[in-house]
Amino acid sequence: MNVSEQKIREITIEVLKEFGDNISPEKLREEVYKRVQSFKEKPSVSQNSMDSGRVIITSYGINKPGVVSKISTILAQNNCDIQDITQKILQEFFTMIMIVDISQSPLSFKELHDLLASAAEEMNIKIMIQHEDVFRSMHRI
Amino acid sequence: MPYEFEEILETIKMTQVEHFDIRTVTLGINLRDCADRDVNVICQKIYDKITRIAKNHVQIANEIEQRFGISIANKRIAVTPVSIPFDNLKKDEFIKVAETMDRAAEAVGVDYIGGFGALVQKGFTNGERELIQAIPEALAKTKRVCSSVNVASTKAGINMDAINLMSHQIKETARLTAKDGSIGCAKLVVFCNVPEDNPFVAGAFHGVSEAEASINVGISGPGVVLQAIRDAGKIDLGQLAEIIKKTAFKITRAGELIGRKVAELLGVEFGIVDISLAPTPAEGDSVADILEAMGLESVGSPGTTAALALLNDSVKKGGLMASSYVGGLSGAFIPVSEDAGMIRAVQKGNLSLEKLEAMTCVCSVGLDMIAIPGDTPEEVIAGIIADECAIGVINDKTTAVRIIPAYGKKVGDMVEYGGLLGSAPVMPVRNLTPKDFVLRGGRIPAPVRSLTN
Repeated sequence: MNVSEQKIREITIEVLKEFGDNISPEKLREEVYKRVQSFKEKPSVSQNSMDSGRVIITSYGINKPGVVSKISTILAQNNCDIQDITQKILQEFFTMIMIVDISQSPLSFKELHDLLASAAEEMNIKIMIQHEDVFRSMHRI
Repeated sequence: MPYEFEEILETIKMTQVEHFDIRTVTLGINLRDCADRDVNVICQKIYDKITRIAKNHVQIANEIEQRFGISIANKRIAVTPVSIPFDNLKKDEFIKVAETMDRAAEAVGVDYIGGFGALVQKGFTNGERELIQAIPEALAKTKRVCSSVNVASTKAGINMDAINLMSHQIKETARLTAKDGSIGCAKLVVFCNVPEDNPFVAGAFHGVSEAEASINVGISGPGVVLQAIRDAGKIDLGQLAEIIKKTAFKITRAGELIGRKVAELLGVEFGIVDISLAPTPAEGDSVADILEAMGLESVGSPGTTAALALLNDSVKKGGLMASSYVGGLSGAFIPVSEDAGMIRAVQKGNLSLEKLEAMTCVCSVGLDMIAIPGDTPEEVIAGIIADECAIGVINDKTTAVRIIPAYGKKVGDMVEYGGLLGSAPVMPVRNLTPKDFVLRGGRIPAPVRSLTN
């Protein structure tokens, strides 16, 4: 990933503030280099790079008691806020769609994804979690 | 605005059942600053630059894939056509460059890297001649490198010398990769009016007017369009166009979203969305099936060109509205080996080379992934390429030929490639020769259409 000149300048100023004006040029260079490197090595998707903190969780499978409770317990335990929920049952099949705000959750998207995936396996149903943006861009102009 | 239950289910159905995916996210990288006198220095610079810029390409694409629940089938790289920055190199040195590109692609985990090519529509530089000489060996010695050569354009006309040379190189590539079904030819495209920001291999390269690095996205989705047409039932052609437009809009929006996110995280510019309908060998993910769902008995029947024109135009109209930057090839692809419906039509004798040529007049890419008998003479291949170039030059559109004279194979044999390349039935070619025409050589002048000023 490229680091802009502007960013390097900001990092340098930050270092100067921290160490004061008496810092030796060698030390300054070393410190700035270290921080630019660590800045570069953070390519992973951060929560705030997305437009909203909402995800859409869709699950379906053979209906059985406790499906809704299991999923909502996982969400509640991890401080995820269910904003909307729709459920339909067609013969023995159920479909459930939840709109969930995960911006306050301590878990990353991936951690939540993995947690739900293991719950899905346990209950032998399908759970999908997708960021809201994809629905917004496909269905809203 | 809240989402309707049906809207959410529609997206889920598209991704889970109808094979909707992002076909490719291609990272374009400029190599013009890697020039040097010494080929070893050049190779080091190329390797360092590709691995530096593309280091996180695959990882980021995978994360985005998971976040949106839409699979990204391929993560690829395109570089500046290597004949441009390294015009001083000789044939053997260009092979070293290809091997370096292959190593760099492997190091960052991408399956194909495009850009081992040249733009020779008007004439050759010394370096371009050397590069073209190097193509067969380079493709035989590498796994990931793809090559494309532009031999004609509306502005320059058709360089018949280049076509003759490329026909020879195609045959040579087929011979050198004979033991793998002449797979080298699947990585080699001859173009007319080549776009500089095409994300699809084998024709992908990073054009000379592009930025330092950019992300271009190719969408897929014949399966989604097919299902929409089937669900629509008996409606007239105007309404059919409307259905296709709406579907194309949705899949292009998803493509644009994903492209922008990947570009943002990689810290490079977002280039374009290529709104081509790209089939895969998976059942139901076929352009031929769409044409048949429109009402043709089989692809190849009279009416095929009209149906394809309607499909292609509707996809463009829907896609244009959905993305701010549309580019690349942007039209339906009609590769034979990569499309289960096309393979079936060829095997039944319903689809001929001539009909495919007619179809290329109204969609993108041209004769794509077509296997022909290994003993087809060079001049005949040159004639086929010249015909495609003529269609492109006169109609001011991109056309291309990716043809495989499968070494040692006869009409009716199958050539198996596996994966996205699929399997190609060897098609008959008319036993007539254009030899005395193509071997005149020289350049067919640019058409009247080129004088637009």
